[in-house]
Amino acid sequence: MKATKIRTAGSPVNGSAFILYGLIAWFVITFLIYPNINVYYEIFFSDGNFSFEAVNKLLSSDRAMRSLYNSFILAISLMVTVNIVGVALVLIVDYFDIKGAKILRLGYFTTLIYSGVVLVSGYKFVYGESGYMTKLFANLFPSFDTTWFHGYWAVLFVMTFACTSNHVLFLSNAIRKIDFQTVEAAKNMGGSTFYILWRVVLPVLKPTMFALTILLFLTGLAATSAPLILGGTEFQTITPMILTFSKSLASRDLAALLALILGLSTLVLLTIMIRFEKNGNFISVSKVKSVLVKQKINSKIGNIAVHLIAYFLFLIYIIPVLLIVIFSFTDAQSISTATLNISRFTFDNYIQVFSSMAAFKPYLVSILYAAGASIAVVALALTASRILHKYKNKWTNFLEYSLLIPWMLPSTLIAIGLIVTYSTPKMLIGNTVLVGTVWMLFLAYVIIHIPFTLRMVKASFFSLDNNLEDAAKNLGAKPFYTFRKVLLPIILPSTLAVLALNFNGILADYDLTVFLYHPLYQPLGIVIKNSTDAQAVADTKALTLVYSVILMIISAVILYFVYGRKSKS
Amino acid sequence: MITFKDIQIKFGDFHAIKNLNLNIKKGEFFTFLGPSGCGKTTILRSLVGFIKPSSGQILLSDRDITDVSIENRGISMVFQSYALFPTLNVYENIAFGLRVKKISKSEIDREVRDIAQKVDLKEAQLSKKVSELSGGQQQRVAIARALVLKPSILALDEPLSNLDAQLRVQLRNELKNLQKKFGITTIYVTHDQEEALTLSDRIAVFNNGIVEQVGTPQEIYNRSQSEFVCNFIGDINKIDAEVIQNSQLKNFIDPYKTAYIRNEKVSLSALPQHKDVVQLKGKIVDQEFYGLYTKYLIEVAGGGCLKTIEKDNGFDDNKVGDEIDFYINANDILQY
Amino acid sequence: MRKILNLILLTITLGLIVTACGGNNTANTAKPESSAADEPAANEPVKNEKLIIYTNANSDGRGEWLIEQAKAAGFEIELVGAGGADATARLIAEKSNPVADVVFGLNNMLYESLKKENVLVKYVPAWAGEVEEGLNDPEGYYHGLVKQAILLGYNPTSYTAETAPKDWTDLYNNPEFHGKYEAPTLLGQVTPRLVVAGILTRYRDEKGEYGISQAGWDEIKKLYDNGVGAIEGEDFYANLASGKTPLGTVVSGTLDAKEEQYGVKAGTVSPEVGVPMIVEQAAIINGTKKMETAERFIEWIGSSEVQGKFAAQFNSMPANTKAVAQANDAVRELYSSLKAQALEWGFIADHIGDWVEKIELQIMK
Repeated sequence: MKATKIRTAGSPVNGSAFILYGLIAWFVITFLIYPNINVYYEIFFSDGNFSFEAVNKLLSSDRAMRSLYNSFILAISLMVTVNIVGVALVLIVDYFDIKGAKILRLGYFTTLIYSGVVLVSGYKFVYGESGYMTKLFANLFPSFDTTWFHGYWAVLFVMTFACTSNHVLFLSNAIRKIDFQTVEAAKNMGGSTFYILWRVVLPVLKPTMFALTILLFLTGLAATSAPLILGGTEFQTITPMILTFSKSLASRDLAALLALILGLSTLVLLTIMIRFEKNGNFISVSKVKSVLVKQKINSKIGNIAVHLIAYFLFLIYIIPVLLIVIFSFTDAQSISTATLNISRFTFDNYIQVFSSMAAFKPYLVSILYAAGASIAVVALALTASRILHKYKNKWTNFLEYSLLIPWMLPSTLIAIGLIVTYSTPKMLIGNTVLVGTVWMLFLAYVIIHIPFTLRMVKASFFSLDNNLEDAAKNLGAKPFYTFRKVLLPIILPSTLAVLALNFNGILADYDLTVFLYHPLYQPLGIVIKNSTDAQAVADTKALTLVYSVILMIISAVILYFVYGRKSKS
Repeated sequence: MITFKDIQIKFGDFHAIKNLNLNIKKGEFFTFLGPSGCGKTTILRSLVGFIKPSSGQILLSDRDITDVSIENRGISMVFQSYALFPTLNVYENIAFGLRVKKISKSEIDREVRDIAQKVDLKEAQLSKKVSELSGGQQQRVAIARALVLKPSILALDEPLSNLDAQLRVQLRNELKNLQKKFGITTIYVTHDQEEALTLSDRIAVFNNGIVEQVGTPQEIYNRSQSEFVCNFIGDINKIDAEVIQNSQLKNFIDPYKTAYIRNEKVSLSALPQHKDVVQLKGKIVDQEFYGLYTKYLIEVAGGGCLKTIEKDNGFDDNKVGDEIDFYINANDILQY
Repeated sequence: MRKILNLILLTITLGLIVTACGGNNTANTAKPESSAADEPAANEPVKNEKLIIYTNANSDGRGEWLIEQAKAAGFEIELVGAGGADATARLIAEKSNPVADVVFGLNNMLYESLKKENVLVKYVPAWAGEVEEGLNDPEGYYHGLVKQAILLGYNPTSYTAETAPKDWTDLYNNPEFHGKYEAPTLLGQVTPRLVVAGILTRYRDEKGEYGISQAGWDEIKKLYDNGVGAIEGEDFYANLASGKTPLGTVVSGTLDAKEEQYGVKAGTVSPEVGVPMIVEQAAIINGTKKMETAERFIEWIGSSEVQGKFAAQFNSMPANTKAVAQANDAVRELYSSLKAQALEWGFIADHIGDWVEKIELQIMK
């Protein structure tokens, strides 16, 4: 606290900094605050006065209430289960001495390259009605109910394994930064492997886990594909309903209201977590850190058990991906019955995709959008983090919470906000119309990725030694030079990881894209959806898988460039 | 050369520095000494430019630098953590400040190698990552990085506190030698009185945001002007009331003051006869052997305790349990 | 490493500049483009600018075919494909700065929404009179191209023409079919909405909730209570073919392809009341700067010649009576047995949002 004040006093604001702050303020007001307030205003006050009709409608709907309840149950469950699995993965890959950890890591990384409907269908190939596991169980126990895989437990199962991406990226970063001497000290005092884990290692991971837990809560609330596909009638969640309502003019008030409920509960959790973070943050006190050495598990039984768990998890992760790849070479019949027959193998799907998409354009458009937007959002988050790091006052609090707004609204409503607001000339953007330009989608991609990026970039910013900046300043470096030469290189690895995640997220997005894309520059997500639409009569099932495989490859390449090379060095 | 004029530094309600006035001469090795939280680092940072004083002026060779930006003050700082840039190698760290000044590559190269040699960094170490260096080597890099800019003032913030004892002593000497070699005005912040005494030309002892005493190490040690200073510097005896009451000391000591005497001024061997020398009796109850000297704890006859140190003379003539006479020169007593 | 770093930095800086100045840049880049397109055209006698056309009917080679045909006829067109509901939403969103010049495909209900939102401009093509009666917009904003029937299909091994339900109402009124049919739960899509509309509009009551009598709502409730929910990402035809859910909605135009994929030919039901017949239409966007070209394009695309060729190529059923002759025999046969349900599209378009909301909130479980 004292230190921040000192810093405030010591850094005179110069002209270019003022321009930068002005730009940030403009961006926040123009794209985060104004459109969203505008959309809420239009929805609730369009006829001149506020009505509680939407509230009554929701309260009187059993289904809405149940879905809302389910969303919260799912979000809270995920906060527990994903942390358990995520920590297990990270320990297996980075902490324990497990044979084949490198291959295991690849398996655990698969969630980074696919998501949504595709991921869930991958799991259905394994556990669904005609999935492999189900068939196996049915053979073992003739009375086995083949429709077992639905409802709360099925959704929780799939999402638990699907949502560990951030853990394998960010928690493993954190565990590698543990001061190994503390582990050795604990060992020296006679701590058993698991006692040390519990008392020494996990507490150090706590700050990162807090940050990830907020994300899990959000993911749980926003769950769409898994409940839709696996929830059955008994476990539907609220987000699909919000999506449906937000697309219908008559029901937008309901969508906005539901989104507001989710947003406010996110805000409550966020506030609690930020408070926790403030109280519970501790910095490693040791001056000479030593590198983590992978721990052998001394107990033989324990060792075997951990190896078994590791490979069991590996199978859970890798099989759906493998099946998606394999089934992309088959036809709709094979896919819907989950049967593999060598005679049904074909390259036709791939030929069709590459011949009808001979135009490389959608790939190019998507890659450019993804690259441009993910770089811009990282740049914005870096700038904002630097401001938040440098100053602490009511304006920076305001800035931080404003930048988190997109977490409180579903992306479809953000899109609608932009459309409603910028379909007519507005002073804020120099009296131009944004709707119908290529910038619309770009801005939206940037906006919705701000909160996550900010959280992650800010965390790495705040782990920096303040003295580095002072030292550079003392050596005569200007702030930007310091940032470029000293600070950025240090936080670059985690920043690049966020960049890659954003890139992959944007690449195949549909829900947001469909509202805002420029008709002449159709991104991949739109092209895929169109050619696999129910209206289309081609072998849409197989095509979806082919596109998924292509997207997986692009994502994997991106991750390799950002992550694979770094972890080697 | 450096003048602090009526400096006050406030953080909210907290008065970190209360009206400081101080003059530091050119070429001096000047130390800010004090316990943590006394304001010594704060004043150093205000000199370097990280903190703007709430009021008062900082003058550098009669130029008011209170509002001058950090990079234009010509003061280089070495940080407690060294703040070496982890992503740059040793060479790049040293060259950092020169690069900023847009000096030609060849000149940078010459300067970097020159300073590296002067601080005893080997050629091979220049291409290493800073994390691969030992604590002592890291410190050399930090100093080289500061000195390469040829600052008029070098500011060091507890630069030895991260090092083990032996290295501290060794680097302390190196630091002193370097300072002599470059003749650079050096401001040194530490909480370690031994460091302060051995290194400094002059010392300012800080306590609670004010300077208790400014002076040479000898003045600070032998003529501590306040109770705080005498307690903070060196090991000292507070003379118990019983000891005074039961001896001739009562003739010399103001009963309303607290009396102190340095350990080494309590003598086990007889002092020359003088009206000011007081003889006392006691028993050795404990001893600690330090090699160079031995420290004894004496239980004074009639109550109270005093510590003393005696140079080891090899005869081992004082043992625990011995009844002894000991002597105090009343002029050595400090009263506050 | 340093080079990479610098590169990244450069891009980040550029990114920042771009984000920061996004609004202004748009203004600068967008204007010359549009004016460049406008000005030279003003001097030419025949305007023939590139048309931007929104449609949901460009998949499976239809788009490519049309572009080629249009090119031969002297039109330069760019097709923007999107689902019917999404295309409609876009058109409404862009109405103050329209990108599209022409829209075709979709269905009457969506065109009614567009008309209501002032997205369309009135234009009656010469071929309007050739279109089967009742399919065009009587007000002259949009005109019919291709007919699509929304059918109740059944698995031919589970049911015969005799044992199959006779109407949608049988599904929930006859306990035999309970749990055997797919209920139209994915109400974000157009087809399920039309199924619902097809049932609800039979119970019109101006005094009822959202224009539907309580009896109608009771019927719809039974439909959802006794059916199997549709699952996102699943192809219903697969469930029909496997017999898992042997009854449900199929769209006429896709039947052949599905049969080929799953090896099962679905039987279809012709209720007495008729089936919801959706008609793909064509219309010009209000605010287009290329009105003249757009008009000529509408004239061309709806002509019996083009529609006939299209029907022959893609097994569709043209709305243009003069083109029907060129349609595939099987298609003509199917349509000859089908009766179009009398639906008032304006009424449906006005209420469908409320209906969906009520079903989502109160009827579905």
